[in-house]
Amino acid sequence: MEESVTRKFVHEESSTITSLCGAVEACLLHGLRKRSLGLFKNSTTTALLQKINKNCPPATEVLRVLGQVEQNNDNLKKSIDSNRNQTSLSNRKTQYNPKYLWIRIALFEKQLAKILEYLVTNSSKYYEKDALMTDPCDGPTFSTLLVGPCALDYTRMKTPDHFWTDPPADELVQRHRIHSSAHGNHQMRSDSPKRPGLQVLPVRRHTSSSSEESARTVLTSAKEYVESLHQNNKSTLLYGKNNVLVQPREDVEPLAGYLSLHQESAGLSVKWTPNQLMNGCCDKEQDEESADRSLFWDFAVTVYIDEIVYLHCHQRSDTGGTIVLVGQDGVQRPPIHFPKGGHLLAFLSCLENGLLPHGQLDPPLWSQRGRGKVFPRLKRKGSRLSSAASAGSGHSEDEATDYVFRIVSTFRPENLPTLQWASSQGSRPPVPEVIATPPPPSVSSLDEAMDINGDVDEATEGHRSAVKMLCDTMRRQILSRAFYGWLSHCRHLKTVRTHLSGLVNNVIVAVDDPSDASGGLSAELWAEMSQGGVVKDKGNIYRLVYYGGCVHEVRKEVWPYLLGHYAFGSTEEERVEHDDHVKQQYERTMSEWLAIEAIVRQRDKETMAANLAKLSQESQDMIPLVRKDSSLSNDAELLDSVALNLHRIDKDVQRCDRNYWYFTPTNLDKLRNVMCTYVWEHLEVGYVQGMCDLVAPLLVIFDDEAKAYSCFCHLMKRMSSNFPHGGAMDQHFANMRSLIQILDPELFEHMHQYGDYTHFYFCYRWFLLDFKRELVYDDVFCVWETIWAARHISSRHFVLFLALALVQYYRDIIMDNNMDFTDIIKFFNEMAERHNAKQVLQLSRELVYKLQDLIDNK
Amino acid sequence: MAKTYDYLFKLLLIGDSGVGKTCVLFRFSEDAFNSTFISTIGIDFKIRTIELEGKKIKLQIWDTAGQERFRTITTAYYRGAMGIMLVYDITNEKSFYNIRTWIRNIEEHASNDVEKMILGNKCDMNDRRQVSKEKGEALAVEYGVKFLETSAKASINVEEGFISLARDIKAKMDRKLEASNPSNRTAHQLKNEPSKKSRKWSCALL
Repeated sequence: MEESVTRKFVHEESSTITSLCGAVEACLLHGLRKRSLGLFKNSTTTALLQKINKNCPPATEVLRVLGQVEQNNDNLKKSIDSNRNQTSLSNRKTQYNPKYLWIRIALFEKQLAKILEYLVTNSSKYYEKDALMTDPCDGPTFSTLLVGPCALDYTRMKTPDHFWTDPPADELVQRHRIHSSAHGNHQMRSDSPKRPGLQVLPVRRHTSSSSEESARTVLTSAKEYVESLHQNNKSTLLYGKNNVLVQPREDVEPLAGYLSLHQESAGLSVKWTPNQLMNGCCDKEQDEESADRSLFWDFAVTVYIDEIVYLHCHQRSDTGGTIVLVGQDGVQRPPIHFPKGGHLLAFLSCLENGLLPHGQLDPPLWSQRGRGKVFPRLKRKGSRLSSAASAGSGHSEDEATDYVFRIVSTFRPENLPTLQWASSQGSRPPVPEVIATPPPPSVSSLDEAMDINGDVDEATEGHRSAVKMLCDTMRRQILSRAFYGWLSHCRHLKTVRTHLSGLVNNVIVAVDDPSDASGGLSAELWAEMSQGGVVKDKGNIYRLVYYGGCVHEVRKEVWPYLLGHYAFGSTEEERVEHDDHVKQQYERTMSEWLAIEAIVRQRDKETMAANLAKLSQESQDMIPLVRKDSSLSNDAELLDSVALNLHRIDKDVQRCDRNYWYFTPTNLDKLRNVMCTYVWEHLEVGYVQGMCDLVAPLLVIFDDEAKAYSCFCHLMKRMSSNFPHGGAMDQHFANMRSLIQILDPELFEHMHQYGDYTHFYFCYRWFLLDFKRELVYDDVFCVWETIWAARHISSRHFVLFLALALVQYYRDIIMDNNMDFTDIIKFFNEMAERHNAKQVLQLSRELVYKLQDLIDNK
Repeated sequence: MAKTYDYLFKLLLIGDSGVGKTCVLFRFSEDAFNSTFISTIGIDFKIRTIELEGKKIKLQIWDTAGQERFRTITTAYYRGAMGIMLVYDITNEKSFYNIRTWIRNIEEHASNDVEKMILGNKCDMNDRRQVSKEKGEALAVEYGVKFLETSAKASINVEEGFISLARDIKAKMDRKLEASNPSNRTAHQLKNEPSKKSRKWSCALL
């Protein structure tokens, strides 16, 4: 029932309507005197309706429609086909479940409340003494409750195909719930983002142990494979070279083929295809070829770079060089032999570019003026490492031209020390533990290892020492991985600190110190803290409000402090004096614009009546102006400006939150007064749409024009720059971009790929109105006071974290449904006033803490 | 998800604040009227699929904030629009004069060949009328666009307006398609051109 009142429109076939009708039916049946109805065989409430038919016109009306519908129902049964294509209203009604049929009709025809009112008034005729309808309190309440639903419009427009092409937001949420519950996860989001925010993109495909196998699994069909070699909308070709030699299997001679490097959404991949497959044009010997081809398909190689850890690079003067890719599993992929002419370097250079921005080669290639990319000059270290790494393979290499490159992520967020709530789902152990073990390898320790190897004289020991050396190498590689992980983590943190540290406060204020604040500011606590008329402990007030909100009864008293209308530590006399002062000021300002308004009204009337655009010279002279200089042209300008603003305010006040109980015509007048007074004081900016939205909740809480006005002025100190003349909005969007990149890179990547909506325009209304239109009133109160308190507790940009939380809350739905910009706009517009504010608030506090912790962890 | 339409048309509703853009859209997309709509902030859109000449056309209609302060934001959406509905309020003369400003805005920000149409909304409130139907028609003729007086509340001409705009977009699209595909050009042109001409102003004279 509540839902149907709070939502702006409801579909006729909504399940909400059915449950509402069910509830009404149950209430009507309670204590119904069956004997009074006579012998109707129909359902008893329908009988009741027929009983009151004579004396209650709305009931007559409903019965008439009911008759029509039932008639149609019968007709329909007889001639389904002839009716099928018609879409007239009465025909469509035949689709309804006959259950609660008359109640439905009464609701759609807006007669239900009237019928109930009649029944309540005449309850003694039809009901027992203890019936709900007879109760002096419950009966009228029940009929009044239904006035709201009866005022709504019910839509029946949605054609079924929309359901499939553009599923509504709640359908998406529902689907997600079903799908995630299958995995034993009943929450929208698994207690934090499904994958803890800071994490490298996860593995997207199963890792096979050898390149041959992975080539085979990926190679679903030859056609698809060949197409994949070309640049297409899914992948970008970064590098291509023909006649590159690869020995695909030990028992096969090296073959010439086409080597290519592709950038796909999933990452980089290297492909090598034998020439025999690339040259599909040989006419002769076709029979012979086709027999062989299936074999060559087996030789084709696909390597995903994110499975690769090391890249060994061997150069010899007589060839163009060789690259061996080594996977996470330690397995070497088939060596790739380049033809002469710098192709190897070109490949590396393309690879390095392709890895950006999330990864890089380590050591990086050097840029040399005039020559482009060159190999880094790390000969000694590089050759040592590489010779050590390839010690088992028995190659004899030229020291000067061998390199080992590591492929590293620029940041390895999974190594970051994670928060309790994030690490609880089994993320990897944080880095500090790892680097507590021996330091990274140095050249000297390598030399020692070599010396030990040289000192061994016994032949049997030779084998053992080879094994030992291999183990040492592996240990060193593991250590160096940890070291580089730690290093890039530090670099990443530096970026976070430089760019994002301004968004959160340095000091972390705990929820449980000195006392647990998660319960919020209760009436008892407030009474205690404001004892004697002086509220001193502002730190604790802020902390309580931030972590647990404020109980509704004390908002009226607490909000003026939070907004800065009252000063903490002020005495009761001071506050009364301040209120008086504000009130006087408010009334004075009001009298100023009221005088101008009278002129504007007069002018409008004359304009209308005479259909003339200009006021006569005389009437202008006669009316004294209260404000600013009194030169005639300026007055006319002022009048124009005031008139324009008044008209705009009127238009918006008249349609401000008319579904909310508070906004009766009387209270709308109060809203108008506050709005006009503010705009009169800020005529250079004027009224901008959205300002009414910001006044409304304040007025609801205070129900006092002067206080609401004063608090609104304080609120606007922060908010006014969000409006189009301010320019803060672009800053918000830019900050959102940075934050989501750091805290949820996977989602950022998604938003970037699906038409790039990382401009975050879909958050515009959120920031302009502090989420006022996104939430129901009760939640707006809670979110607003949290924003105000957050300034002193965690972040003066708390709105950013709220926005981020709102996006993250639905991240799985956004990603599972491949939402693009239009989908996102539609989704969030449909989800307005349906968010779980409590969870979103909790998530935003967690996000602030996460960033604070990142910055704090030096 | 299978594509269940043949064309996707992006339309845009613009006009002064309070002329009833959201209500017009709500009438068209939900066939209902709601007098308690709050002013539009930011941007929203609604979808309805219609059928024209045997083709399913999905209309994605964007609703914008009316106040000129938000124009920098709303003009960002002009570019992708294939049709623009200019709405004024017949009980508000100013909103009618501002149609010129809105058209200038379109010329600046929308693509050149965008289809336009002018709607004079709230025509159920004849007793408070400030703009005569003739004035509206004259303005439309001046700009060479179609015109209808509508009422979202009384459900007058809203459907007709959107379908007419969609039809024009489709006709333009088909012509372009033919131009780029000259093989079957002659036959189609003979069929299309005359009917096009005779139909051009028919709506303005309803």
